[in-house]
Amino acid sequence: MPCSLWPPINKEEYKGVWVYLERDGDKLKDVGLELLGKARELAAKLGGTEVGGVMVAGTEEMAREAIYHGADKVVIVENPDLRVYTPAEYAEAIAKVVAKYKPEVFLIGATKRGRELAAYIANTLITGITADCTALDIDPKTRDLLQIRPTFGGTQLATIRTPQRRPQMASVRPGVFPKPPRDTSRVGQIIVEKVEISRRRTRLISVEKRLEKDVADLPPVESSDIVVAGGRGLGSAEGFKLLIELAKLLGGTVGASLMAVRAGWVPHNRQIGQTGKTIRPKLYIAVGISGAIQHLMGMQESKTVIAINPDPHAPIMQNADYAVVADYKQVIPLLIEELRKIKSQS
Amino acid sequence: MKIVVLTKAAVPLSSAIRIDPKTGTLVREGVPLTTNVWDRDAVEFALKLRDKYGGEVIALSMAPPSGIPALESLIGMGVDRAILASDRVFAGADTWATAHVLAKTIEKYVPDYDLVVAGEETIDSTTAHIGAQTASWLGVPYVYYVYDAEVKGKTLIVRRFLEDEGVDEVYEVEMPAVISVLKGSQVPREVRLSRKLVAREHIQIVSNNDLKLEPECVGLRGSPTIVAGLAPATYPPRKRVVIQGEPQEIVKKLVEVLRQEGVI
Repeated sequence: MPCSLWPPINKEEYKGVWVYLERDGDKLKDVGLELLGKARELAAKLGGTEVGGVMVAGTEEMAREAIYHGADKVVIVENPDLRVYTPAEYAEAIAKVVAKYKPEVFLIGATKRGRELAAYIANTLITGITADCTALDIDPKTRDLLQIRPTFGGTQLATIRTPQRRPQMASVRPGVFPKPPRDTSRVGQIIVEKVEISRRRTRLISVEKRLEKDVADLPPVESSDIVVAGGRGLGSAEGFKLLIELAKLLGGTVGASLMAVRAGWVPHNRQIGQTGKTIRPKLYIAVGISGAIQHLMGMQESKTVIAINPDPHAPIMQNADYAVVADYKQVIPLLIEELRKIKSQS
Repeated sequence: MKIVVLTKAAVPLSSAIRIDPKTGTLVREGVPLTTNVWDRDAVEFALKLRDKYGGEVIALSMAPPSGIPALESLIGMGVDRAILASDRVFAGADTWATAHVLAKTIEKYVPDYDLVVAGEETIDSTTAHIGAQTASWLGVPYVYYVYDAEVKGKTLIVRRFLEDEGVDEVYEVEMPAVISVLKGSQVPREVRLSRKLVAREHIQIVSNNDLKLEPECVGLRGSPTIVAGLAPATYPPRKRVVIQGEPQEIVKKLVEVLRQEGVI
């Protein structure tokens, strides 16, 4: 006997692969569009079922954008009380739409707000959820969503299923799946849904853009294809200036190991590793980083790794495609000079 | 103010982990457990609120008995008392089933709570689910990523930071409520040995004989999600080409590599 708190469900009533479309002011965040691309793939594996999107307080123009990126149907939640984001109220409204349309699969982008909403929505729907999936697939026999995610500190890859409950829910970090091409010839249905929510218990009082004293005007580590990261081996904040220069020349950004963050050379939001960010750039350049396991966990999915370290036996050197045995102070300034020359010639 | 802090007694990542081959879940029985590092931010946050407004801080964990030392340390930090929900039937729980036990324990043993405080996420599972799921079970509002709060009548004014948007937001949330504390935002106080030594008497252990939850709704059986497979994570093998020599030569080779990679 399953848990009596789980209302019996008829799995066949649940159809389609739906996505939560998070807004960033008056446009959609990319992660929702990325998930629409994945949703189309999953829908095809489920025998050509529909792809849907839900947004709260969005516009028809935004809904059309979702359709251009793969949605067949977009529900816009309309309720004057929901123009401004608050967690419990948004989660309640989204759960109501999902309960009504009964998708087989419901995906949420794991932004900070998405992570806040996802588990509350799942709990309201009395279903399971898997956080931060790095791959999603369908088991053709059971139609179960295979929710694949790293776990136990990134050492294991778990495949998780929700065999008894529907919808099957998963969250996915931004940038994990590619954004599908925009196809303006695609058509779909836009539904404006009036959704009532219970009494409001959270109110937004103010919003402020934080003017953080970051190391430079550079993109965040998780959204950059090229990351130049520094560690304790840099010896000083001055060393970081060289890395910033190099990152700018390469069109990338700078990151750091825990040691460099602790030394106060770089803000916490640029830390890569188990207690910081997990990144998957095309190119990772580690400078003066020894490569403790906690750091490796955050960067080992990089496509190519260059390590610069005077110690050929540092663990990072065993985990690099190119292990440069050198003092960075002798190599990086020359490299910067060389790159400048190349740039001025082109 | 009565504050419940949710803390996970977790297997330290440095120790050799054991996984139950049948369920794919982590074995915590008989393994020395320590409090999830980000939950220490939550504890510090709760203690600060108590120090300012008075009241009581109660730490709550669901763990096997090996989770007791972790709670003792929290009492050493200044937590007034702790509750350990511990029963074999709770083992192998996913986040739904875990939040179920936590919420029912709160409702039964701290029914007059004003605030539930959770860490942002755990360092081993990193789901960030439990705060929101507990709020849903309790039927109360919630806000994540909080780093500062003040009481205003029956509401809490919370200041939170959304790292990916670089935005600070201030919310007014009615109590009782659940909040999660921004990781790294607090400086957890030291454990006082004198207090830790008497900690055991401040820990209450509750089992499912006390909670009387349907065994089908807790632990592995009560988990909507199941681990269907587990494999060691594999990463791209590295070429390990060693580049050394004079700086000029190295730079020449690096420029070549950057060209190959299509970076320049």
